[in-house]
Amino acid sequence: MLALALSLLVLGGCASTSSTGNGDPHESLNRKFYNFNDTLDKNILEPVAKKYAAVAPDPVRNGITNFFDNVTYLNTIANDVLQGKPGPFFKDTGRFLVNSTIGIGGLFDPATGMGMPQRNEDLGQTFGTWGANEGAYLTLPFMGPSSYRDIGSPVMGILLNPLTYLSAVVTIPVGAVNAVNARANLLDASRIRDQAALDPYTFVREAWRQQREYEIYDGNPPGDGFEEYIEGEGDAAILRVY
Amino acid sequence: MSKMTMRIAILILLAGLFTSPAYADDAKVTVENLHAELLAAMRRAPELGYRGRYDLLYPTVNAAFDFETIGRIVTGAAWKTANEAQKAEFKAVFSTLSVATYATNFSGYNGEKFVTLGSEPKRNAIIVKTHLVKTDGEKISLNYMLREHNDMWLIVNVIAQGVSDLSLKRAEYSAVIQSEGFDSLTKRLGEKVKEMNHGS
Repeated sequence: MLALALSLLVLGGCASTSSTGNGDPHESLNRKFYNFNDTLDKNILEPVAKKYAAVAPDPVRNGITNFFDNVTYLNTIANDVLQGKPGPFFKDTGRFLVNSTIGIGGLFDPATGMGMPQRNEDLGQTFGTWGANEGAYLTLPFMGPSSYRDIGSPVMGILLNPLTYLSAVVTIPVGAVNAVNARANLLDASRIRDQAALDPYTFVREAWRQQREYEIYDGNPPGDGFEEYIEGEGDAAILRVY
Repeated sequence: MSKMTMRIAILILLAGLFTSPAYADDAKVTVENLHAELLAAMRRAPELGYRGRYDLLYPTVNAAFDFETIGRIVTGAAWKTANEAQKAEFKAVFSTLSVATYATNFSGYNGEKFVTLGSEPKRNAIIVKTHLVKTDGEKISLNYMLREHNDMWLIVNVIAQGVSDLSLKRAEYSAVIQSEGFDSLTKRLGEKVKEMNHGS
């Protein structure tokens, strides 16, 4: 559980931002949790992940990543159903079956080469497709960016993860491996954040928001995903295109 | 053929219907020139080092991006009240930051490819859609928005996997301008450039 929380913290840490009238009424509390998560990450998780990335060969890392992607895939499949997407549902089910069997328990990913690439759905995206807005942005301790809309996602993800139902003797070390491996996969992302961000909290919030919108619409936001903000005096400021 | 091929074909057809093909071509050329230079910097990364990559990319990036428009958008209302000297300094620092960011992150070559998918008009702009394809086949979507400036099509925004660089920067920069002022923003961006210089 903690490891899972840690892995989410990392994901959160690297996801992404807003400003005045920014839909962030809890900003002051969020910033406290952001700093807490960041301290934990900088002092424990990131250094461990860096060592792991330096030591573990790529095939091992890929195998571990594939395994956890596969074991958490029931969550995507269930949300395909909730979102009423039969095409993706069949493909994702096929992907899960192929990778669990031919892929030796998910360690390998033959399904992608067979036309069943990895997709990502969760409860927050499902609420999004049902028309729910973000509500308010949240930074959760250990878990990072979330919102009113997305707060149920990790709960459903945990409930649909078969590893949850194993003994703690197994889940704790396995979860720790997942956390470290997942954090290692985000080292590039966090490096870019550290490099680019003047205010990492805002950077993370905005990037996370945009990424969520992109995911909710499966990479094709409505109206061609184009938004144009017209500045005063006829200056057309074009901020978003997908 | 595949759905993707169909979609690309349709995109190209639509682009042809709504905009002069020459414009769309010009926009594509701008993006493809940038990509070609990025690939060159990646291929020659070890021999060039950070400084070499920076020097190689400086003219290309400055020729490809419209830093006037970008400056206006990312600083929001503050752009209107800033004086000419402040604007000029901001543009200079921001362009070096862009070059430094490319020089830092495009620091090695593992068989990556840039693929141009097509272009489509959007009001007074053109969107050029591309993929950065990694060796393992993973595709990173990179969409460029270009606007015409002195008869040239220049990049005003890059959208990587749905994340718009301009809106990210605008949100962050407006927070800094609000709490510390315009000059402090420019100064802090300059510090970012220096940090990258020390990076490698």
